Amino acid sequence: MVAVKEYNIVITGVGGQGILTAANLLGWAALNEGYKVRVGEVHGMSQRFGSVISYVRFGENVYGSMVPEGKADVILSFEPVEALRYINYLKEGGLVFTNSRPIQPVQVAMGLANYPSHEQIKDIVENKFNAKYISFDAESIAKDAGNIIATNVVLIGALTQTPDFPLSPESIREVIKVSVPKKAVDLNMKAFDMGIKTAQELLK
Amino acid sequence: MAKVTDMVLLNKPGEKILLLGNHAIARGALEANIAIFAAYPGTPSSELTDTMAAVAKDAGVYMEYSTNEKVAFETALSAAWSGLRSMTAMKHVGLNVAADTFMSAVGMGVEGGFVVMVADDPSMWSSQNEQDTRVFGKFANVPVLEPCSVQEAKDLTKYAFEISEKFKHMVILRTTTRSSHMRGDVVLGELPDEIVNKVRRHGNFEKDPTRFVDIPAHSRNFHPKILENIEKIREEFANCPFNKIEGNGKVGIIAPGLSYAYVKEALSWLNIDDVKILKLATPFPVPYKLVEEFLKGLEKVLIVEELEPVVEEQIKMWAYDKGLNIPIYGKNIVPRIYEMDTKRAVIAISKFLGIETPINFEELDEKYKEISSVLPPRPPSLCPACPHRNSFFAINKATRKKAIFPSDIGCYTLGVLPPLNAVDTTVAMGGSIGVAHGLSVALNGATNEETYEKKQVVVATIGDSTFYHTGLPAIANAIYNRSNILVVVVDNEITAMTGDQPNPGTGDTPHGVGKRIPIEDVVKAMGADFVEVVNPYDIKKTTEVIKKALEVEGVSVVVSRQVCALYRVGKAKRNKEKLPLYKVNTDKCTGCKVCISTFGCPAIFWDAENNKAKIDPTMCWGCGSCAQVCPFGAFELVKEAE
Ligand code: SF4
Ligand code: SF4
Repeated sequence: MVAVKEYNIVITGVGGQGILTAANLLGWAALNEGYKVRVGEVHGMSQRFGSVISYVRFGENVYGSMVPEGKADVILSFEPVEALRYINYLKEGGLVFTNSRPIQPVQVAMGLANYPSHEQIKDIVENKFNAKYISFDAESIAKDAGNIIATNVVLIGALTQTPDFPLSPESIREVIKVSVPKKAVDLNMKAFDMGIKTAQELLK
Repeated sequence: MAKVTDMVLLNKPGEKILLLGNHAIARGALEANIAIFAAYPGTPSSELTDTMAAVAKDAGVYMEYSTNEKVAFETALSAAWSGLRSMTAMKHVGLNVAADTFMSAVGMGVEGGFVVMVADDPSMWSSQNEQDTRVFGKFANVPVLEPCSVQEAKDLTKYAFEISEKFKHMVILRTTTRSSHMRGDVVLGELPDEIVNKVRRHGNFEKDPTRFVDIPAHSRNFHPKILENIEKIREEFANCPFNKIEGNGKVGIIAPGLSYAYVKEALSWLNIDDVKILKLATPFPVPYKLVEEFLKGLEKVLIVEELEPVVEEQIKMWAYDKGLNIPIYGKNIVPRIYEMDTKRAVIAISKFLGIETPINFEELDEKYKEISSVLPPRPPSLCPACPHRNSFFAINKATRKKAIFPSDIGCYTLGVLPPLNAVDTTVAMGGSIGVAHGLSVALNGATNEETYEKKQVVVATIGDSTFYHTGLPAIANAIYNRSNILVVVVDNEITAMTGDQPNPGTGDTPHGVGKRIPIEDVVKAMGADFVEVVNPYDIKKTTEVIKKALEVEGVSVVVSRQVCALYRVGKAKRNKEKLPLYKVNTDKCTGCKVCISTFGCPAIFWDAENNKAKIDPTMCWGCGSCAQVCPFGAFELVKEAE
């Protein structure tokens, strides 16, 4: 284990997308690697298809479960606009990793609000917040791997390839193996590896 | 990453696992040898209750979902009177419901340890108000313990039982949304033999009317005893192993509960290490002896606490009496509203020390504000296929949106949002019927001859669990006083918002089948003037019945029954059943947007390129309601359920 003083991940998306599971997975991997771990999650009303934020933190300096604003090393987002909604958590020069498929809020469908374009989101992240923005269709990759449910595993696989990411893909694989139903292990492993491969391409 | 039940019952002392705060409290209660647990669910306390329900059988613990917090409190309290260790759990507003018994029972004391877990919700993530239970503890003279980490949540729970039993005084274990819903590493302790061998112990109640019958002659003895007890506990807390003085320096910070975590992070972010810290797990009663020791040699002190100045007031009052002349900062620097976080702690400490913050938060806020106009709102919404949407839709149709809609606390409160806009008031659990009755009296006179067309009609909505929680006395009152209202009980046969707990309308209990009490039977027996049960998935029929009910003078009740969609879909997925799927026939869709602007299932979105509605196949749960809503029959079944 590489000694890390503090590593902060913000996971965002829409309630029901499996964000808690993703956070829990990363938390266990960090625990198994010997870190002090905090995972902050959202329950109750906010989960009903609303905007959701979870936090995964580990390292010596970590006490509370919330990543302080301006301190996230990476934002892992399951939906593009939700990455933008929590962009104030990202540190200078941080990284946004997002699934590219938008989910239209009811307000947008009703014509009461607009959904920003892909270019607009990218522009704000890169030019206003000096961060790196990477978006890719994690859902199609999960579908290719066998089931759209594995989207979160694709995203996590990709995350492991980001520069200075402290957790090893191996320890995450171990957690996935024991936490998903036996029949789904192969599918999830495949999705995880495809996430890794995609990120390697994207980060070149 | 095993199942929670396995982890909580894992008897491997010393093993390190990742637990949710609420799970850790359940584990702590088991390590303390709890025998009885009773609660009504409420976010953020629910996972404690659900965990106890899940492990009860294997741990020999009696566990029940009570109909409300007061009843739960009484159940657990009397077990503690009988010498058993017992616990109840609730959210902050739940304590208001239990308050009547709570306030009176303090002086009676307990025999077995009795811990009342109360979860506050600073910033109101899923609550109707922001209240600080530590104030309630101080008001009632009940000690309050508050953890700063998940490990401490477990250990402090055990300690709470010991303190309660030692002083024969009930104890509050107070958490917040953050501490209840934080996951952290926990080292397991030992489970007692009785839990391992699932032996259900029996209590023994010793009669003592001078203690358990609070007629004035007896209760007059309670208050002095309570105050005396609190001072003894204050002394004890000076040696509480969870209170700690750490570090050195000329300035000091006092941090109760989770604020300790934020202070530690803030100091490390600010790169400051010459500050003395008093970590406080006992915000009430504050151990003055420890504070005195802490203050020695300090030039000034900052109290970083969330919400109300509970610790601050105690310390300032005491310091004044002692003639201590040390500047004590608190709520003049630290915000009194919303939850504490590291940013707030950093800002407060920087002000206190006269230094710069590590990043310019104001600049960051400005930047964020600039982009916020780009962000479409995404509030929580009723699930796809949620039967409540149909109930509201039918109510809107039947009343042409002309009625007044008092509603209640539950998923259906989301009916306030567009496009349904079918919630005009919510106050507290069970409040919709009381409010509806009051409005009916104020607007119409109790009953009069005019037809409902000419009056302001009142249609209340209330969920099944809420109906049993506190709706019952309210509906008795409305019927008795000849109200003129329609009550639609949106009965999804489960307590959905807090995570699918059963209730009397469900009939199941954690120990097996209980006795189901049908709502329609209850209101019929009470004398309601009109009672009918409908299935909201049949929108036409539901609308007709609501119209019929509105013509009846008096209290009409329509029970709109269809199981919670989230619950149904979860079950179907576990059983590997396929759900039916709908899609839009673009030839038939005229782009009228009726489905979106009056119904609003989140699975239906707007395809702006083609000016047609579209269904997201990953979100459709196949209820078929859109097909009933569309005037042009554009929604079609693609796939039958297999
Ligand atoms: S959880 Fe159940 S009751 Fe609540 S919104 Fe979803 S379907 Fe409706
Ligand atoms: S069938 Fe229609 S109303 Fe029902 S979930 Fe699917 S899209 Fe929504």
